[in-house]
Parts: sequence; structure tokens; C-alpha cells
Amino acid sequence: MNEHKLSRRTALKLGAGAAALAGLPWMNSAALAADELRAGIAGFNVINTLDPARASLVPEFYVIYGAFNGLLKFNEKMEIVPDLAESYATVDPTTVEFKLRKGVKFHDGNEMTAEDVKFSIERVMDEKLASPNRGKVTAIASVTAVDPYTVRITTKTPYAPLLNYLTNTRTGTQIVSKKAVEAAGEGFGRKPVGTGAFMVKDWKSNESVDMVAFDDYFGGKPKIRSVKIPIIAEESSGMTAILGGQVDLTSTAPFADVPALEKRTSEVKVLKQPGLNTRYFALNVTKAPFDDVHFRRAVSMAFDRNVLVKAAIFGEGVAIPGVLPPSLWPEGKGFHSDYTSFNPQKAKQELAKSKYGPGTEATVIVWGSNWWRRTGEIMVGMVNQTLGTKFQLQAMEFNAAFAKAKAGDYQALVFGWLGLVDPDEYLGEILGSTGFRNIQGYSSPKMDDLLEKARAEMDPAKRRQIYREADLLAVEDMPVLPCFCSNVHNLLRPNVQGFNQLPYSNFADQFAHMTVG
Amino acid sequence: MARMISIGRVSSRLGGVALLALLGSATVFFVMRAGSGDPAIAVLGEQATPEAIAAFHRKWMLDDPLVLQFWRWLSSAVMGDFGLSMTVAGGTPIMKLIASRLPNTLFIGLYAVLIAVVVSLIAGTLSALRHGKFTDTAATSLAVLGISMPDFWLSYVLVYTLALGLGIFPSYGFTPPAESIAGALYSGFLPALAIAAPMAAAFTRILRTALLETLYRDHVRVARSLGYRDAFVFVHFVLRNALIPYVTVIGLQVRYLLGGTVVVERIFGIPGVGALMVDGAFGRDYPLVQACALTFLLSVLLVNFAVDLVCAALNPRSA
Repeated sequence: MNEHKLSRRTALKLGAGAAALAGLPWMNSAALAADELRAGIAGFNVINTLDPARASLVPEFYVIYGAFNGLLKFNEKMEIVPDLAESYATVDPTTVEFKLRKGVKFHDGNEMTAEDVKFSIERVMDEKLASPNRGKVTAIASVTAVDPYTVRITTKTPYAPLLNYLTNTRTGTQIVSKKAVEAAGEGFGRKPVGTGAFMVKDWKSNESVDMVAFDDYFGGKPKIRSVKIPIIAEESSGMTAILGGQVDLTSTAPFADVPALEKRTSEVKVLKQPGLNTRYFALNVTKAPFDDVHFRRAVSMAFDRNVLVKAAIFGEGVAIPGVLPPSLWPEGKGFHSDYTSFNPQKAKQELAKSKYGPGTEATVIVWGSNWWRRTGEIMVGMVNQTLGTKFQLQAMEFNAAFAKAKAGDYQALVFGWLGLVDPDEYLGEILGSTGFRNIQGYSSPKMDDLLEKARAEMDPAKRRQIYREADLLAVEDMPVLPCFCSNVHNLLRPNVQGFNQLPYSNFADQFAHMTVG
Repeated sequence: MARMISIGRVSSRLGGVALLALLGSATVFFVMRAGSGDPAIAVLGEQATPEAIAAFHRKWMLDDPLVLQFWRWLSSAVMGDFGLSMTVAGGTPIMKLIASRLPNTLFIGLYAVLIAVVVSLIAGTLSALRHGKFTDTAATSLAVLGISMPDFWLSYVLVYTLALGLGIFPSYGFTPPAESIAGALYSGFLPALAIAAPMAAAFTRILRTALLETLYRDHVRVARSLGYRDAFVFVHFVLRNALIPYVTVIGLQVRYLLGGTVVVERIFGIPGVGALMVDGAFGRDYPLVQACALTFLLSVLLVNFAVDLVCAALNPRSA
């Protein structure tokens, strides 16, 4: 007995000692500063460049959103509004004129003028720079600086996606300082100079980015004075970091933990909404067995998308009947297609029309996080059970999977895109015969015609109707098996105010008007 | 001692180190290149156009014959220049990356070894001296538990209990020792403990076995019969002999500390070399993986060498 008491007392002493240590200033002096935001990028580990023209990875844009501005941006209702532009107007079907805000300063103190806008966009267009975002601007014929505060952008033909591609999203068309780029050359990617509310102060590769408030920001002096952005490779560590008070905000949350986190309301706020993303199985239509449309349709009807949503992503999303996510549907209305609804009987009937029968073998490649794997496992399991096929899973990491996809060396693989704001980035690029996201080898003149028509349709409502037709055609032809659109999440500590979550996975663009209580 | 580290022995050893380093580097190089994947995809992302990918390949001279690329790498590596990171830290000198991270990895590793040694010395000695009694059973059971628990699982258990539950330690993040030693000891405690647990278990078991073996040897019985005090006999005739297998096992474990702590580094957000190498491998950052692999290889060879020296010094016959 005595011994036990002693040990318990010792344990208490140890605990008290540790608690005393915890109170020492070196523990997290930063955490106590009310004007510092610690915003963790979770689930990613690499930021290579903060030069918008060269950036392509989601975490790179997370930071770029705060250091730069586009001519335009999305407001809380996802409407396009002017940002660096003061106003914009369509001059003729191929020309848009932008009046720029006056007195906007870059981080280096220079004023932002039409020259910088022309320079920034022409940089992305430049073939020599080989920007990964060049696809966004290939429709542009010329950018003209009419006067220091007026820019005209002319496209080769009427081009409806243009305005979306000039927003502060994953577009690469954010406005950079011409002088700073010319001075820094390739080094600009590590020393970005933009007009955003925060400047990059320090950046430890693979670890963290530190930002400080830019007091001459045209939107007013930010209340938050500095931002620490740790790059947290594991999504689940992002969650433990916010629960333990080591960060105030995260860029993402693990699907599996969201339901539990939503119950811990006193410790953490969970923001979520269906994101601008699409998740599907890409089918290689040039190889057996997915070269047969009946087989593709049979497989599509042989698994239940609602089960995927429930079991693979824990209800954090919605099953979708086509490729487009709900926020891009005409008038927000979805559609029903037998081909993307679970129906074992119809699936078997369709299989009977196919040149491949039960017992057909195929390899489905899965990669990435657990939920991607679960998506593959459930699909393969259900399809095999329904059709008697012998599908197998092959797991690999993203780089290898993507290299195979690009080379057309696969039968089926899970795939998806996120943070894309224009319907053409989905249907046009995934299903257009020259679309760079088209890894299926799919080519349909009818589809290409529809996509061409949609790109030229300047009336947004009519344009969305054309994409509906394209989505329906996609489901007929089934080069991809649409599955679901997942929610986007942000975790916030209760003392963090002012973060407006937008469906394209936004982040640092919100820091300007946020406060930490 | 002096005869153990004769000049001839050291130089032949150094020659072996150089040869192993060369073979190891060549293996890593050619195996990496044989696998599928492309650093351009890691940098330029899914949206990359073929032109952008081609430009990236030209910039890093990835289209040259492999042997030429290896020669280029080798000739600068020999001069101590590991080049620039391709995809994980675009354009940063790799030496700088490793130099900033190696202290963190070493710190956590040594911290873990220290915890494991202290725990195992106490637990191993107690269980050997109280052989078959409750203390022994408890210590042995704990050791089995320690070996069976995967480090990622233990990490989360520690995070949920000591960090999130009791709020004693931070749940994420690491203060590098270069910034604050106290901060590093504090923020590094949970990860070090997670790494230490299986080691402590292994050390305890080997120490217990070695002590038990020695305890009943003839020379110990003779020493006792001569009337030496128990403590003296234990320290001089039992522990000293038992330390040789013990130190060898510690040496074996230390080798895994550099690369084997990746998972724990990831969970707690410690910027270490292991995590860097794994990120490098996923991103096909060829020169970075090469440099990390070489660092690990040299460290292992160095540790082996050090263990040999320590064992030689401990061996009563050569002292």
C-alpha cells in the first residue's frame, strides 16, 4: 500500500513538473500573441514555388492567394467581383476592358499599373516559360495597356471561361510586379512580390512559410500582423495540432474524423460544404475490357455511389450522376441517369450486350490517401459481386500512378480534380479529345462540338445548359465512371473569426479580414 | 586499445567505407531511375503541359544517358556538392537542407536512446536480480508490450493521452535544438518516447538475459565466495560482462534511428532527414534521395565503427 502511495505521489510530482515546464515562455510564446495566426496546411508536404505563373500544386496556391491578387475574385456567394480591377466591361464579344484600381501598391512599394497586368498575363502565355497554367490563357490573342489604369484583353474567339480564369483561384493569372520579376529572374518564386495583404517573410522548404502583414494593402491594414503556416504532411496531424492548440486554422480535415470533430464544438469549429471537385474512375477506352461501351455502362451500374459516399468518405460528400459537381449544375438542378444508378439487373442486361462476360479480368489502380483506396476497394468488391467479374486492385503512389495514366499504361484508375472553377476545366479538359486531363483516350466529335459551343456561349445560363448536354453525353459514352463530389473542410479554433470558406479550397485569401481573439 | 585501432586497420576500414558508399549510391541511383514516375509531375502537377514537362527535363538534364547523369552526380558529390533539390524544395542546395535537418534527427534519436538506456538499465537489472518474482514478470511483460506496439500507434496514444488529454505536452510541432535546447527536450519528449519504447523493450530483454547468464557463472561464484560485497561483484563481474551484448544491440538499433523514425517525424511534424528522404522519394527528387541515402549509409558505417571500439574497450580481456 505504502509503495503505491509513494509511486502515485511521485507520478503527481512528475506531472506537476511537466506542467510547470509547459508554462515556461519557450513553450509557445507565439501562441499567446493575439495578432498572430497559425494556419496549418494539412495533407500536403511540398511547396516548390510561390510564383503564380509557375505554381501548380494546391498548397502553393493556398499561400499565393494571400500574397497576390487577381484582376477579379469570387465573393462569398461565388459571384465574380472586381479585385485589382475597379470595374470591367465587355467591349465586343472578344474584348473585355478592365479599369484598374488606382494607388494599389506592390510589396516592394511600386504602384501596380496596366504594365504589370499586361506583363503578368503575357508571362503565363509565354511558351518559353512553359507555365503549367498556360492552358488558362491560350485563348487570349493580346493584352493591351490602353493607359496606366486601363487594360484590354482580346481573345481569338468569344471565350466564356475568360473571367473565371482571371480570378484569384488556381489560375496562375495573379498579378505580379514586373520590376520585381525582372530583378529576381527565376528567384522570384522564392521571393514573391504581389499586392496581397500578406508578404512572404521566411520560407523553410518542406516545413513552413511565415508571412507578415502588408500595411499598404489596398483593402486596408490587416488586423492579423503575422501568419505562421506550418506544412503538415499528415492530415490527421493537422487535426491533433488544432485540438492541442498548436494551430488556429487548417486547410483540410480527414474525412473519417469530421463526424467526431463536429461534436467537439467547444474546441473546434468545422466548416464544410460540397467542394468544387469531382471524383471518378478513369477508364482506358483504348484497351480491353473498357474499350466496350456496354461493358463500361455495366460496370457503372454495378456499384452504388451512395455506399461509396457513406463508407469511403464517411458521408462527407454527395454522389453525382455526371462529371460536374453540383455547384456547376444549371440552376443547381441535377439529373437522373440509369447509367450512373446502382441497378444489378440492368447492369447484368448491359453486360449481356457486351463482348466481355462475367469472369472478365481488369486491374484498377488506386493511390494516395486511405479514402481513395477505400473507394477502389468498395467499387471493385461491388462490381465483382454484381457482375461476377474478376477485377483486382493495384495500389501505388501518386507519381507512379500518374505516370502510368499519362502513358496510357493502365485499364482503370481512381482519379479526381479539385479547386477548378470553370465547367470547361471539368468536361472540356477531362472529356475533350485534346483536353489535357483526358487520360482515357476518349474522343468524340459530338462531345467536342458541344464543348466548343459552350466555350463560345457568353450567356452563363445557356452555357450551363450546354454543359448539361455534354454531361449527359458523357454518361452515355461512359469514358469515366463519375462517383462523387466531396466536401471541403476547414478546422478553426473557436477564437478565430472571419474565415469565409469557398468551395474551390481557398485559404490565405481570407487572412486579410480575419481576427484571432 | 592502441593495437585495436592500428593505422592499417583504420585505413582498410576507410577504404571499405568508400567502396560501400559508392556501391550504395549507385544502387540507389539506378533503382530510383528504373522505377516509374517523373520529377516533372511532382513539380508541375497534374495540370502540366507536355511542353512544361519537356522544359523541366531539359533544365535538369534528365534526358542524358543515365551513366552520364550518375557520373555528373558522383563527381560533384565527391567534392561535397550534392546539388540542388529538384522537387521537394525547388532549387535549394541539398547540403543546406540536410545540415538544417540532421541535428533534429540526431537530437530525437539520441534523446530516444537515452530514454531507452535509462529505462532498460533499471528494468533489466531489476528483473534479473529479482528473477522469477513479480518485478521480473512486470518488466518482461512491459518489454513484450513495448516490442509489439507499432510506433505510429503508440505516437497517437501518447498524443491523445499526454497531449490532448492531460495537456502536458504539445500535440504537434518541434522546437529545433538550435533554437532552444529546453524547448527541444520538451517538444521532443513524446516523439522520443514513442521511438524509445520498442528500443527500451529490446534493451531490457537483452540486458536481463545477459545478466542472468553471467550471474551464475563460475567467476561470479568465486568472487562471492571470496567475500566481495554483492554490489561490487555485480558492477565489476556481472554488469561489465553483460554490457557487451547490450552495447552491441544498442548499436544495432541506433542504425535504424536515422531512417526508421520517419513515421514519428511525420506525426509530430519534426523536420528530420527521414521525412525529407521519404518526401524526396515520393516527389522523385533524385539528387535529394541520393544525398539522404548517402548520409544514412555513412552514419551507419560510423556507428558500426564506434560500437566496435566501445565493445573493445569494455572487453575485460583486451583492457
